[in-house]
Amino acid sequence: MITAGYVMLALAGMGFGYRLLAGPSLTDRVVGLDGLLIVGVSVVVLRAMQTGEGAFLPAAVVVTLVGFVSTAVVARFIEGRGR
Amino acid sequence: MGQALALAGSMLTLLAALGVVRFTDALSRMHALTKASTVGLALVLLGGALTVDHPNDKTSLLLAGALQVLTMPVGANLMSRATYRARGIPSTVDTIDELAEHLGATHDEAG
Repeated sequence: MITAGYVMLALAGMGFGYRLLAGPSLTDRVVGLDGLLIVGVSVVVLRAMQTGEGAFLPAAVVVTLVGFVSTAVVARFIEGRGR
Repeated sequence: MGQALALAGSMLTLLAALGVVRFTDALSRMHALTKASTVGLALVLLGGALTVDHPNDKTSLLLAGALQVLTMPVGANLMSRATYRARGIPSTVDTIDELAEHLGATHDEAG
């Protein structure tokens, strides 16, 4: 069951990576990057569930916070710059 | 139970990625990512919190879930408003555009 979750997250990561590389506007690239952060946090959690080793779980909290701050900063940037 | 929740969350994340790839508009893509993956990541974190044993790990997972549910809508609101106001990003708001009236009113008050 965990392996099926890994496969789904890998496919989702490929989709978000495509949008990060190809997205025509800066917003699309931010959307792709946000999705990749979500995939990364999910993989950390699945790995902790599989092995029972929780040493990486604080990284999930930190990545969540960094993702929010980077989104807010890029939003200010887009508002001034356009496209 | 926890593994089933994590699998459901992974499936929602995959659906969000499908929407992000397939939709034609920047705001539509943001809609797909935000709705699906807030719930998706919350489900994965909840499943993890039900599965792991140590209390510290449970606290980390629940804290990450609470932060994600609190910050993801705020960040999406900031991003979509900035995208709406930026020049050069096409958007297909074609039925009712309440934000335009609101922004026009605030601009008039300010200037």
